[in-house]
Parts: sequence; structure tokens; C-alpha cells
Amino acid sequence: MLERYWSITTSLLPFLWKGFLETFYVSLVAIIAGSLIGALIGVVRSQRVPLLTGLFGLYIHVLRGTPFLVQLYVFYFVLPNTGISWLSWDSRTAAFVALSVYTSSYVAEIVKAAIEAVPRGQSEAATALGMSRIQRLWYVVFPQALKLTVPPMSSVYVMIIKSTAILSVVGISELTRQGEVSILRYPRDILFIYGLIAFIYFLYCYPVLRFARWAEHRVGAARTVDLD
Amino acid sequence: MTWLLDFYNYRIVAQYLDRFAEGLRNTLTAAGFSLVLSLLFGTIIALALLSKRSAFHRPAAAYVAFIRATPLLVQIYLVYYGFPALLPFAKSWNDMYFGIAALVLNSTPYMGEIIRAGIESVPRGQIEGAKAVGMDYGQRLRHIVLPQAFANTLPPLLGQTAVLIKDTSLLSIITVFEFTSAGILLNSERVKPNESFLTIALGYLLIYLVILLLSRGVKQWLAGPAWNAQA
Repeated sequence: MLERYWSITTSLLPFLWKGFLETFYVSLVAIIAGSLIGALIGVVRSQRVPLLTGLFGLYIHVLRGTPFLVQLYVFYFVLPNTGISWLSWDSRTAAFVALSVYTSSYVAEIVKAAIEAVPRGQSEAATALGMSRIQRLWYVVFPQALKLTVPPMSSVYVMIIKSTAILSVVGISELTRQGEVSILRYPRDILFIYGLIAFIYFLYCYPVLRFARWAEHRVGAARTVDLD
Repeated sequence: MTWLLDFYNYRIVAQYLDRFAEGLRNTLTAAGFSLVLSLLFGTIIALALLSKRSAFHRPAAAYVAFIRATPLLVQIYLVYYGFPALLPFAKSWNDMYFGIAALVLNSTPYMGEIIRAGIESVPRGQIEGAKAVGMDYGQRLRHIVLPQAFANTLPPLLGQTAVLIKDTSLLSIITVFEFTSAGILLNSERVKPNESFLTIALGYLLIYLVILLLSRGVKQWLAGPAWNAQA
């Protein structure tokens, strides 16, 4: 029995490794691209820019109020159907863009909360020194806010890694998809193969979770799941 | 009006209205059962996590770590293929039961963490005061700790409920006919992605907005005693 599982594991490992690399790559792209978009939106929202704040608020609520699976279908089926030529992308681009946009909505709220958590006195003191708004943000507020974003950002990173599994439904060859293909080869060991997949995800996510907890102790508790 | 019909033909959606309603009903059923059960098990997990006995908190912590570090989709597959193979009573289950079981398994640790944080947020003096007037563990839990913890945890619990409702969409993959499945059905029969997926997106958004308003209402309502006592 054990020998059988061992031989399945060794024969599937190169194949699953390829899937893991894709999972790793997608999650990395999503966290980087999503952080860039999200940081921009978060900063704008913290500054209460008229019109933009409301518009970005809508963006965030739409993305946080719908399941990622549905968003993925919209990016995969609806947008290429609009007739705009640059939106008629392949499944891989659709998946990457969907996950990055989804990520940005969570990052934006983290950045906004971190900026607002820096005591007002800091910004007021900088004003008293004659700094402009940009200078205040760049030299005084951002360096202090950056630290506060570390624990919740690590939690978001774990969430992204787990969300990449959903990309298997549009045929992206990431870890879960590679597992499904492996089952065609070993149909009797479906449970073992999913267990193996779960274990590989665990090896990727658990260190990040531990890091998040460690960072929370250093920086202070992260925001819990909260709608606003 | 023709440009609207080109982009979003609501007449097609109207034809599928009862399918959407059926899907929505199943979504709310799955979410409702999962919510109640995961709150129940979540309280047990919270108490186990807070227990000083390692026989209680170690298994609980391992379970929480496993669930938090693996994707829900993989957990759904594990339940869907694992339960009938391992549990004899699960052989006759329909897909909905497997879906609810997977969602409960997935959301229990998150609910547990929220409840644990809520229990820990009750100031020590409250518990010491209860001990001083001679209450036992059960009385302290019922009259002192849980009511205050409940007030502190209601907003994050509502947030987690919103996550749970969104997570039910993944049950479409194990052929539970929930809200997302209704959209997929429309798209596969009529090849109308806009009418299919924008409709379900809007539906989920409306559910989310209801919970969002509820959450704001609760914050207003609780803004008196429980929140101020903490600061």
C-alpha cells in the first residue's frame, strides 16, 4: 500500500511541480500588480479626493461583494464578448488580470486603514514645519504606515495563493488543475492525490501564515474581517 | 433601447427567472445551514484554542492551520470524494450535503478565531468580579463572558458571513445547483455571457449590500456600551 503511494508520488511529482510553479508565478504576479493598483487607490481614498474617492469606493465594494469565481467568469466570458479588441484575451491573461484586480481591492483597504492609523499629530506637525501635502505623505506618513501594512498584507497573500486554485476552472495549468489531470492517470487514488495537492498548498501557505502572526506580534493586531 | 438589448437582453434573463430563484434559494440554504453549524463548532474550537490543556488546544490549532493554509476548492474536493469513501453514512448524501459539510469544515476555524478574539476581549476584571460573587465556569460563560464577547464579535462575524455566502459559489463546481450554476446554465444553453454572469454578479452584490447595511446598523447599535467599555 505504502509502496504504491510512494510510486504514485514519485511519478507525479515532476508534473505537480510544474503546476506548483504556475501557482507560484500567478500568485506572485497578482500580489505585485494588485499591490501597485491597490496602493494607488488606497492613497487616493485616504486623501478624500472628491469624485475619485466615491468611484474607487464603488470599485472596492463591487470586487469585495462578488465571489472571485463570478469575477473570473466576467473576465473570461463577458469582457472578450464586448467587442473591444484588446479585451479579447486568452484564458491565461484573463486569469492574471482577474486575480490582480481582485487583489487590488483588498490592498486598497489595507493601505487606506494604515494611512488613517498614523496619528493625526504627525501630519499636523509636518504641516507646522511648512511641508506640502506630498512631502507630508512621503516623508512622514508613508514610512510609518508601511510597517502597519505588513501583517494584513501577508494574510492577503495567503488568500491570493488559495484563490489561484479557482483558476483551474478556466483551464490554467496550476497545481489544482495538474492534480485533476493526474487523476485521469490514477483514477482510483483520487483522494490521495487531492491530499497530496492540499499538502503542497500547505507547504506554501503555512510559512506565510506564521510570518503574518509573527508580524502581528511585532506591529500589533491586524484588522479582522470587517466590511468597512 | 436596442443598444441595451444588444448588451444585456433582460428578456432572456426573465425567461430564466425561476432558475435564478431556485439557485438563489439553494445558495441561501447552503449559506444558512453552514453559518449556524460553523458558529456552533466555531464556539467549541474557540474554547479548545483557549484551553490550557494541550490535549484540547493542539488538535484544534492543527485543524485551524490546515484549513487556513489550503484552498477551499481542494477542501471541497476532499470532502466530495473523501466522505463517501471514509464515512459509511455519507454514501447516500446528495451534493448539497457535501457542499454544506465542506463549507462548515472551512468556515469553522474562521468563526472560531473571531469568537476566541471576542472572548479574549472581555476584560479580566469582569471574570474576576463574577468569581468574587461566586459564579461557576458555566455561569460566568453564560452571563458575563459570552454576552460581551458577542457584542464585540458581531461586526466581524457579519463580515465572515459575507465571505461564506461568496464561498457558496464554489459549490457550482461539484454540481450543486446554486446561484452561480443558474448563470452557467443560461450561458451554456443560450451562449449569453453578459446576461448570465452580470446577473449573478449583481445578485451577489445585492446580498453583500444587505449585509453591509446590517453591519453598519449593528455598529451604530453597539456603539454604546460594549465598544466604549473596551477603550
